Amino acid sequence: MGYHLRKIAFYLAALWAAVTLNFVIPRLLPGNPVDILMAKLQQRGGSVDPAARQAYETLLGTGGRESFVREYFAYLGNLARGDLGVSVSAFPAKVSDVIGDSLPWTVVLVGLATLISFVLGVGLGALVGWKRGTWLDSLVPATTMLSAVPYFWLALILVALLSSGLGWFPLNGGYDVVLDPGWSPEFLGSALYHGTLPALTIVLSSVGGWLLGMRNMMVSAMSEDYVLTARAKGLTGSRVMVRYAARNAVLPSVAGFAISLGFVVSGSIVTEQVFSYPGIGSKLLQAVQNNDYALMQGIFLVITIAVLGANLLVDLLYGLIDARTRDRSTVS
Amino acid sequence: MTALEVRDLCKTFHRHRAVDGVSFTLTAGRTVALVGASGSGKSTVARMIARLVRPTSGEITLTGPDGSPVPDRAYRDHVQMIFQDPFASLNPFHTVEHHLARPLLLHGRSRAEVPHLLERVSLSPDFARRRPHELSGGQRQRVAIARALAPGAKVIVADEPVSMLDVSIRLGVLKLLDRLQREEDLAVLYITHDLATARHFSDEVLVMHQGRVVERGPSDDVLLRPQDPYTRRLAAAAPNPDTRFHLGGSS
Amino acid sequence: MTRSAKLTTGLVLAGLIVLFGLIGPLLTGDPATIRDIGLIPPGGDHLLGTTITGQDVLAQLTHATRGSLWIGLLVGVMATVLSGVFGIVGAYAGGVVDEVFSLFSNVMLVIPGLPLVIVVAGFVPADQRGTWTISLVLAITGWAAAARVLRAQTLSLRNRDYVAAARVSGEKTWRVICVEILPNLLPILASQFVFAVVLAILSEAGLSFLGLGAADSSTLGTMLYYAQNGFALQREAWWWFVPPGLIIALFGGALALINFSIDEIINPALRDKARRRGDVVATTPVVESGDAVLTVHDLNVVYQGASPVHAVKDVSLTLRRGEILGLAGESGCGKTTLAYAINRLHRPPAEVTSGSVVFDGIDVLALDPEELRRFRWVRLSMVFQGAMNSLNPVTPIRAQLQDVLRTHRPSMSSSDREDRCAEVLRLVGVDPARLGSYPHELSGGMRQRVMIAMALLLEPQVMIMDEPTTALDVLVQREILNEIKRLRDELRFAVVFITHDLPLLLELSDRIAVMRDGEVVEYATAEEIYLRPQHPYTRRLLASFPSLTGERGALL
Repeated sequence: MGYHLRKIAFYLAALWAAVTLNFVIPRLLPGNPVDILMAKLQQRGGSVDPAARQAYETLLGTGGRESFVREYFAYLGNLARGDLGVSVSAFPAKVSDVIGDSLPWTVVLVGLATLISFVLGVGLGALVGWKRGTWLDSLVPATTMLSAVPYFWLALILVALLSSGLGWFPLNGGYDVVLDPGWSPEFLGSALYHGTLPALTIVLSSVGGWLLGMRNMMVSAMSEDYVLTARAKGLTGSRVMVRYAARNAVLPSVAGFAISLGFVVSGSIVTEQVFSYPGIGSKLLQAVQNNDYALMQGIFLVITIAVLGANLLVDLLYGLIDARTRDRSTVS
Repeated sequence: MTALEVRDLCKTFHRHRAVDGVSFTLTAGRTVALVGASGSGKSTVARMIARLVRPTSGEITLTGPDGSPVPDRAYRDHVQMIFQDPFASLNPFHTVEHHLARPLLLHGRSRAEVPHLLERVSLSPDFARRRPHELSGGQRQRVAIARALAPGAKVIVADEPVSMLDVSIRLGVLKLLDRLQREEDLAVLYITHDLATARHFSDEVLVMHQGRVVERGPSDDVLLRPQDPYTRRLAAAAPNPDTRFHLGGSS
Repeated sequence: MTRSAKLTTGLVLAGLIVLFGLIGPLLTGDPATIRDIGLIPPGGDHLLGTTITGQDVLAQLTHATRGSLWIGLLVGVMATVLSGVFGIVGAYAGGVVDEVFSLFSNVMLVIPGLPLVIVVAGFVPADQRGTWTISLVLAITGWAAAARVLRAQTLSLRNRDYVAAARVSGEKTWRVICVEILPNLLPILASQFVFAVVLAILSEAGLSFLGLGAADSSTLGTMLYYAQNGFALQREAWWWFVPPGLIIALFGGALALINFSIDEIINPALRDKARRRGDVVATTPVVESGDAVLTVHDLNVVYQGASPVHAVKDVSLTLRRGEILGLAGESGCGKTTLAYAINRLHRPPAEVTSGSVVFDGIDVLALDPEELRRFRWVRLSMVFQGAMNSLNPVTPIRAQLQDVLRTHRPSMSSSDREDRCAEVLRLVGVDPARLGSYPHELSGGMRQRVMIAMALLLEPQVMIMDEPTTALDVLVQREILNEIKRLRDELRFAVVFITHDLPLLLELSDRIAVMRDGEVVEYATAEEIYLRPQHPYTRRLLASFPSLTGERGALL
């Protein structure tokens, strides 16, 4: 099997695992989610007809009345149609609509912050590794300290200093509520302004990991014969650093992207909560607090698909930047 | 008398025939050299005899000192291996004592034999306490030889035993092996890419190329008067200053 | 910071925090006691102030630290055990077991952990969310990255010869894993454990901060949850929300420092190296004589350090135009250091302490960095031992050949560059169609030919070849040697050929220098060395190579 096919097959397997996990969790854990949901629904004035109950049961389990296999296929069928159920906390909105409203906020925030953090971390890491033995070395413990700081606490400190203290940034929210969401320059400017501090939190917390990994690989790469050869060839220092050392040193960072992305996504969920950011992380917590199980599951699924998709993209990119992987036959 | 017979040995890796129909016999008191370039399949033969790699087909039969076949579970009492790289074949975590005591104990002997084993490979008994990184390459390879002798093995497979050592100590290790072979009546399979030492240290030579034995016979016949074109090329390729300075035979 | 300083700082800091969590709760009062004094800043009675309900922050902090550490420890142990089982056992077993275990770990790795934990925590009713449940969930979602690292390491250890040797001596599988492999994995296991503890404390803090932590425990995350819900931020009660985060950050930082030290044990290349300002301390250029192209005079190279190593001692050599000079010696004799010093490729802590290198009138040791860069490859090119590793594995060989022309012949047109690259490949007998190939697509012999082609690109006067054929088979070696001789005759460059293989040098070189312990012990024509060796070491080296055709048994 070719490299690309194997990668795609792997992510399909991972996707199947996630979907199945989502199905199994509510059925294996204690508690009776369907009853809780129905009670909530009643409070909100929703119809408590058997059809509504059945919809939730497909999602969360019938408590043994239906066979597991049957429930599983009904659940897969719903997923295939994009039917994630109805949200209780945002009743009568459909889960897919709630997610559709909040997802772009998170994708833009986390996507941009991750990109900035990756470029910054890898760039600085390459430089710190290349200039080993100079004052730049002190950047390493400093940024490691930063990545040991919990995201949400860093967010609290930044808010205390930059928003409450100096008033440079808004305290919370994703945009100025007096504006109507749309593509107007005012709204985009406001969104950018509101997003700066959350993004800064994510970048500060995650840059250290990239930096350290890149720096260590750079140090290893610099003792390789091809770097020695490049120096002997009389190439300029910057060319040796970029084309020979960094080009090789960056590979493990790209290959390890999956692990790091997991951390960033986890961190950003909590960060969104601190900033009351209108993204999918805040929605997930809102769902948990309101026992909105359908929304909870839907969001987990969407986050997982987004993460898997990003990883697949990076893996395919890896095949492009390292010719050797395409010829190897080992799994992952 | 201990003898190991290899008959029609084959090994296929991912459709690639690494070893193709190799047969020979090792008998006590004789050294057989298996020569060839890297990738010729000679190391795979060694690993099959050491039971690290399972043959795809063919047979390896071992006859004990009393002339009867040796049962499978006792195989390792009789057949042992010396690896190429003494820096990799000793566990950096353990002492020399551990490396020798374990095979002794596993084959029903006593750890009290460790000093004696070290003596046999010309190392003083206080080496037992040291760890691999405290030893030179030559000393490490002597420990590796002692380890192979520990179970009381009579068949020794030496896979390029000196190619990773500094040139000036190689002959010393080969002479040690040769002395042990004669004194203890061992059957030795000497695997190497170096034709010169193969000729000087073995009775019989097999030349391997792409998994097959292309030429075999008494050492002098094969290496001084090669018949097979591949053996000829191999013999002609080795650096030989004699030709440049127009000298014949002796060095 | 040096390694021991990092380790000490890390251990002391982590130790203090552990002590704070262990002993602190015994010394401070009940953290739950409510006083109607409200939110007061740090002062005499309450060293770290109080919360909105008048609870003592310091008392809360000690208990919360204990709670967080306990969860960190629980998760750390469980995750390490899980990663060990899936990583080590799978890799050692190999085959289908490894495939399945590895697939499982990779799937667990790409499914985002915290969202999964949140969903699980959301389904479990609050009264059933105990410390053990939360720890178990965190461990299950947190072991996969470590398993991947352990698997890679075990796969490499499994193929070491000492593992094979243990199997040959008849060791049982479990003993091979536990006694031969596991001890060598300890540094990595330790580092993964430390990492798992930090990750667990961070994740638990996040979970508790969201109000989804264990119901029966109070941790640093719980404290922050109450601080957030008590509007500590808006009330500017920094003493309430700063200390818990600071403890997490300090503990995480301390463990990271410990991990640095472990990493440096695993990977010696990462160790601190003192960087020196100059690679050359003193030089005394010597005017060369006659047809010499390269003159090395009384060169000394020292590896500086606590106990300096004098790697090259008073070496003087002269390389004439078109000559092949052989440099013979065993490992550690200084021959490679000498070759690097000639081109100033030696790196700290190596330092040229005295002597001179004069190349066709150029005092090499006096060149400034930019002049040195222009000198390299144009005048003197090099071919290194590891043909496998001398080529950049991630770019096609075309780019690596063109790099040289782009840098040293910037005015060359791109079609001329392409032509020149094809031309040198043809010179060494490689099909120019190979320009688009990556190094891994070429055989070892082919790679070395490409390296030689690269060395020829700018038609240098001198080529230094460091063990260029050692890793190759005799037949390939023979072809390459013939190639070198032919090219030298055609193009008239001079060669410094470095190897431990004295017979090869005797056949190839015009003159030979024999090195031992940094010194040239004998320096004469090949014929002299072969027929009338003067130094006992030269004779010993000669005797180490039995002649193929020599009298049999003469050695024994």
